[in-house]
Amino acid sequence: MSTAGPALEVRNLTKHFGRRAILAGIDLTLDRGEFLLLLGPNGAGKTTLLRVLATLLAPTAGEASILGYSLKTDPTEIRRRIGFISHSHLLYRDLTTYENLRFYGEMYGVQDLDNRITELLERVELTHRRYDTVRDFSRGMFQRLAIARALLHRPELLFLDEPQTGLDPHAVDILDGIIEELRADHTFVMVTHNLERSLELGTKAIILKNGRIVYDSADRPDPAELKATYRRVCVSGDGDECD
Amino acid sequence: MSATKQFWAILRKDLLLELRSKDVFTSTFLFSIMALVIFHFAFSPNLKDLTPVSAGMLWVAVLFTSLLGLNRSFVHEKDEECLDGLLLTPVDRPVIFLAKLAGNLIFLIVLQVIVVPIFALFFLGGLTAVAALKLAMVLLLGDLGICGVGTLLATISANTRARDLLLPILYLPVMTPFMMQVVSYTNALIMGGTAAVDMSSWLYLIIAFDIIFLLAGYALYDFVIGE
Repeated sequence: MSTAGPALEVRNLTKHFGRRAILAGIDLTLDRGEFLLLLGPNGAGKTTLLRVLATLLAPTAGEASILGYSLKTDPTEIRRRIGFISHSHLLYRDLTTYENLRFYGEMYGVQDLDNRITELLERVELTHRRYDTVRDFSRGMFQRLAIARALLHRPELLFLDEPQTGLDPHAVDILDGIIEELRADHTFVMVTHNLERSLELGTKAIILKNGRIVYDSADRPDPAELKATYRRVCVSGDGDECD
Repeated sequence: MSATKQFWAILRKDLLLELRSKDVFTSTFLFSIMALVIFHFAFSPNLKDLTPVSAGMLWVAVLFTSLLGLNRSFVHEKDEECLDGLLLTPVDRPVIFLAKLAGNLIFLIVLQVIVVPIFALFFLGGLTAVAALKLAMVLLLGDLGICGVGTLLATISANTRARDLLLPILYLPVMTPFMMQVVSYTNALIMGGTAAVDMSSWLYLIIAFDIIFLLAGYALYDFVIGE
């Protein structure tokens, strides 16, 4: 069931907070192995869409299938197969690096957990901080550890919500390196405001505005067309900004 | 990944966080000791024997102490949106409820192991071994009800901006009928029991409340923890 079909299939997805429609009928298909860039001005609904697809928010209406599993009926199966990196690192400040990863590893039922932790800590260059409480970590170290947390259970699909926000160049290089390594056999959905950097990565791009898709590249986006559309959407005079 | 392993992982994590920060224990311990000291000095000049009012004082201290602890029980989860991290894992929501409940229950029991002997010193002349065992039992049953409802309501209030205000508003009215049974039973127990009172009916009601609270929490947790 999970190995066939597109990575994402979204039909008429809506999300309301009270009377306000944050997502107003999203239709989207993403094949496995693709890298989707999710762009748009602040308040367009990008993060909400990501949170709905990651099972953190229930949709008000519509259907979504993620890696072949229904968002409504199989959220647990979806959670086993996705990773999520946001600007919050989702780590417990009073636990050590190892304790944080062990906790999440146990929750995901990761096999051979200690070796997996060692392997990931080496990859994000935090081996020397393995037994340190994370409270005093810098923003970059937190985000590197958050990357390790999100990859612990070897997810097939990664949701990235502005993962480069506040990172130092070294942490950005590590993140880029990991994304490059994983691109061959993983699917990505990334919310970003950094169009220049992300254009190299994206195999598909959509621009959201007021909860609707106003641009869908359908295929690998043409950089000039995407930039022009992005600029037009973001400065259309209704007060929205793209940063 | 079994639900049992996930339960232990959440519980161990919560206990470890509390051991490191001592957030809940410090505030609840100081509050309960202060409450008992104030009650003692408020009543002792006028009453030679404090035993008849002791059950009420014990449960007032336990109820408000638990409120303080429950309010703090989601602090670590809200910090850095760790609750999202927990919800992203493939864990059934009732397992989170049971683990959080177990954590709250352990904190309350540990606190009572220290505070109840101090309470007995202040307010009770002496209890028989059987009465002491029954008191421990009713404390455990009371704690179970308090943590059952409290964990559910603390989760609801943790997802709101006014959580410090919302939890007492939700929690205290729901707890009132339960506390009436618990205080009545404890009072009869401390007073040595009387033939005129059928203590078992209070006990059955306490157990019934516990079962209802636990089932409600287990069944409703999926709806309250998400948004």
